[in-house]
Amino acid sequence: MTSIGRPRSLFRRIVQNIDWVIVTLVAGIVALALINLNSAGTGDWSGKIQVQMRWLGLGTIAAVIVASLDYRVLHRMAYAAYLGGLGLLGLVPLIGVMRNDARRWLELGDYQFQPSELMKILLIAALARYLSDRPSKAPRKVRHLIVPFIMFLVPVALIVNQPDLSTGIICSLVALTILALTELSLKSILALMTTGVTLFMLGWAFFMHKYQRSRIDVWLNPEAYADNEGYQTIQAMIGVGNGGFFGRGVRQGTQNTLDFLPYGDTDFPFAVYAEEWGFLGAAMVLIMFAALVLWGLGLASQARDRFGALLCVGVSSLFFFHVCINVGMVLQLLPVTGITIPFFSVGGSNALAMMLGIGILLSVSRSRHQRG
Amino acid sequence: MTSLREPDDLRALRPRLQAMVLVVLLALMVLLGRLCQLQVLEGEHYVRRAERNFIDTIEAPALRGRIFDAQGRPLASNRPAYTLYVTPRPRVVVETDDPGARSQTGSRVPLSDAQIDALADLVDFVDAADREQFTAAIVRRRDRDEGIYPFAVRGNLTWQEFARIQTRKDALGDWLEIRESARRFYPAGELTAFVTGYVGEITPEGLANSAGSYRPGDRVGKTGMERQWENYLRGRPGKRSRVVDVHHHPVKDPPRDALAALPPDEDPIPGQDVYLTLDLDLQRVAAEAFADKPAGALVAIEPDTGRIVAMLSVPAIDPNRWQQPIGRDQYKAWSESLLKPFIDRTVQEHYFPGSTYKVVSALAALDDPTFDPEKTITCDGYVNYGGRRFKCTHKHGPVNLEQAIVQSCNVYFYTLAIDTVLSLERMELFARRLGLGERTGIGINSEAKGRIPTEAFEAREGTYQRGVRLNSAIGQGNVTATVLQVAVLYAAIANGGRVMTPYIVDRIETPDRRLVLQNKPQVRRDLEPVLPADRDRIHAGLTGVVNNELGTAYSERLGSVVVAGKTGTAQVGALDKKNKNPKPGPIPGFDFTQDHAWFAAYAPADAPKIVVVAFVEHGGVGADAAAPIVMKVIENYLGSRSETPQPRRPGGVPPPLPGRRDKQEVLGDSGPAPDRTVALTGARLPGDRPLGPPPPKSEETGPSGHVAKTSPAPSPGRSGSKKKADKPASKKKHASKKKPAAKEVLP
Repeated sequence: MTSIGRPRSLFRRIVQNIDWVIVTLVAGIVALALINLNSAGTGDWSGKIQVQMRWLGLGTIAAVIVASLDYRVLHRMAYAAYLGGLGLLGLVPLIGVMRNDARRWLELGDYQFQPSELMKILLIAALARYLSDRPSKAPRKVRHLIVPFIMFLVPVALIVNQPDLSTGIICSLVALTILALTELSLKSILALMTTGVTLFMLGWAFFMHKYQRSRIDVWLNPEAYADNEGYQTIQAMIGVGNGGFFGRGVRQGTQNTLDFLPYGDTDFPFAVYAEEWGFLGAAMVLIMFAALVLWGLGLASQARDRFGALLCVGVSSLFFFHVCINVGMVLQLLPVTGITIPFFSVGGSNALAMMLGIGILLSVSRSRHQRG
Repeated sequence: MTSLREPDDLRALRPRLQAMVLVVLLALMVLLGRLCQLQVLEGEHYVRRAERNFIDTIEAPALRGRIFDAQGRPLASNRPAYTLYVTPRPRVVVETDDPGARSQTGSRVPLSDAQIDALADLVDFVDAADREQFTAAIVRRRDRDEGIYPFAVRGNLTWQEFARIQTRKDALGDWLEIRESARRFYPAGELTAFVTGYVGEITPEGLANSAGSYRPGDRVGKTGMERQWENYLRGRPGKRSRVVDVHHHPVKDPPRDALAALPPDEDPIPGQDVYLTLDLDLQRVAAEAFADKPAGALVAIEPDTGRIVAMLSVPAIDPNRWQQPIGRDQYKAWSESLLKPFIDRTVQEHYFPGSTYKVVSALAALDDPTFDPEKTITCDGYVNYGGRRFKCTHKHGPVNLEQAIVQSCNVYFYTLAIDTVLSLERMELFARRLGLGERTGIGINSEAKGRIPTEAFEAREGTYQRGVRLNSAIGQGNVTATVLQVAVLYAAIANGGRVMTPYIVDRIETPDRRLVLQNKPQVRRDLEPVLPADRDRIHAGLTGVVNNELGTAYSERLGSVVVAGKTGTAQVGALDKKNKNPKPGPIPGFDFTQDHAWFAAYAPADAPKIVVVAFVEHGGVGADAAAPIVMKVIENYLGSRSETPQPRRPGGVPPPLPGRRDKQEVLGDSGPAPDRTVALTGARLPGDRPLGPPPPKSEETGPSGHVAKTSPAPSPGRSGSKKKADKPASKKKHASKKKPAAKEVLP
């Protein structure tokens, strides 16, 4: 009986403990994302989308494994994994693959892998461990911030050096969000924002690449650059507007299918989606992402411990910033950056990392009621 | 695990988590608000902009109308051709993920000089200037806003060019396109060069004046019929819209919304066909007769109608040459050539008519009631007047008016001028009555007016001398006329005094054979009341020129038909000597010391059917140089007329297919052609039934029936098939009273 009953009870246990809200939201988002990716690509489910599906499958397996583990295993492994991730990042300049003037990839047989994407999750785990290990009632001192800042600035420096400014920005924002939630006083948050703005101004004036600087000009006045730098911004807006309320239908968007909209599979998939699904579909997907993020934040407040809570905050903010900055860029609320939208943009490493994040959320969710 | 804190640690996080929830909700609201603004509130604006992206409206060129001769043989038609289009500022699509290059995507990058050079290497240029012009045209548009649209940079690609560009097209990029088009082709070449004219690319000035009805690169008529009937020939271009992608390539299977957004197509309306009165065969005979003459002109018209059946100017440039770029050297050679190949010598240039003008002087003299045409004047070979000696060709002895014309005696007319029978006023009056000094109204190739001197004119020019009157009397001095004017003048003599407006366009039809315009003979001025009896004297004199043993053109007479005519030798060789330009030109047969040779004639003399005027520039003596040409043309025209069962008619509808020719011509013949007045579009020719069976007029359908019907007519050359012929014949009844001996009837 036991030999038969055990797996049944394990299965039942898994089914009962699975967070169906997350699974449903992610499944819905991934399904829409795949339809959209096909639309933005060749339209016959071939090419890049097959690679993406393979990575998603890999990511799903990874998520299932992580979800079935007790997340406290992560607590034990966090630093080692973080150091391993740093090691991979350190390998990139040495043996990484050069593509389009940037060295971001490591080659594993037929697959190319971006350690920086994995680093996002590893950084969240390491920061969560460090901050949860410290007693929460301890007084906040500036020197206590030195270690966490070093923890995120080292990988960010390596990533920006690839160069991959977008991933660097995302990592910084996620790390700062975690810190803002735990360590930083309101005063220091304000102080940090001020320094951030000042640094940005200085950087814009002295250190930024010309293309990065001109993006700001273009963002503020895209029509003046309609035939060159502002082209993508304007075409994306035309695509979104052309969708109207009900959308043009899958593979029926002229901006997308006639190639007026560049990078429909990397930077501007949301414009493709908005054109083909209209306001109805676009609002729906934004609400789904928001629901995922809010659900993650809800999990954080219900988590069994501080580590689990910070993991949820990290993963939620990761999704939040990706979606917010990418969609903001498409809708011309923010300047053009290379920040992708999860699952809608092609990118195997990103899909894998995002799936790992989902696995972490599921794991935290599974154990939230098992206090102690 | 021990280091994990208890849940109460989480309580400290909650306020900030709640703040974060607020931030997320706020961000969601902002994004949804913006989405609503773009998609719902401003949606229409972006829909229009999307349409501007993918709708490409191209002009569908209209096929230019064709030009046919009187028998329906094409003189200008269209052939398929390829035109090269270039987009000087194409979009660049960089397949890269690099952030730097990424911002380039979709941007418009002007073509580099290297790219333009690479394209230029594939084109065959006639010279360096041609290539320079080619690249300059692209460079000019590269820097302008319209550079984002493809434009026609070179038409009429040769097969080699087409193949070369086609194979290299993909390597060069998306900024190249070859479109099918039509090129103009002139089957008769230089034979009809000045009649058809030619088409060429519209000039910038012409484009600016066209009020938008032409586009850069359009080809328009430059000279001849092509220019005069441009508005009829060009048709109206249509519009076709298509869905294009970002590379401006048409899309095979566009999204349904895109198809629905396309504006409706407009079909091009092809140009209308021009049917001329010109007879290509006769034109060819004339050209062959001019074979050894480097420069000259010939006009053959029907005296009763003013229809031009041959109109030739040599030398001419094959109009097909203009359909390809012309090298600067070649153009320079033409424009500097002493033979002036750009000049249409039939209408564009005016010359001293020489002795052909003596008919005007004679008519003017006859107008003086005190003048006795039978009174003889003795010619001693010269006459002295005002301290100058005015010479004649040789001593003619005593001559009356008729003999003065027959032998072309200058002294006779000098004497009349001295006696003031021939005043400048009177000569001017008759010259003007006969159509000199004003444009004939044919309206092609910037027709010259010619010059008829008056005392006021001479005074103004400071050339008035007493001798002017004498020189004017023999077609020298300041008298000038075009070859066409002389032809109209002699046609008026031949038809009994009606100065006709010469015309070369018989009718204009749409491509589906609906009549648009039909020309009919127009009498410009009817002089019949002025010179009924006088004409007979002139006529007798002109007949004598060819048929009297003393006549200047007696040696050139034809055995088959009696021709009446007048030779002319305009003394320009002497003038040039005076102007110290006596050197003979480098062209054989084109000797500047030689005079211009004229011969104006009509035949048959008793019932003229054809007037032919030939002018040979620096040809020498009229009888030797010009008369044989005229005789060949007359012989051919009348000969082919009496031998072939189908005579030329004005209303003959040229057949669309060779097999239909006979029917069509007979049909057209049976129709009341000359009575057709200018018809509106849509009116159908009575004989225009290309699809139906011929009408049951058995006696006219067969060649034999035709001959049988016409042969009993007193003058075989004059076919009874023309209704309009009846009218002139009746008007000439009085003229036939003094008809010269009628032994000219054809054998």
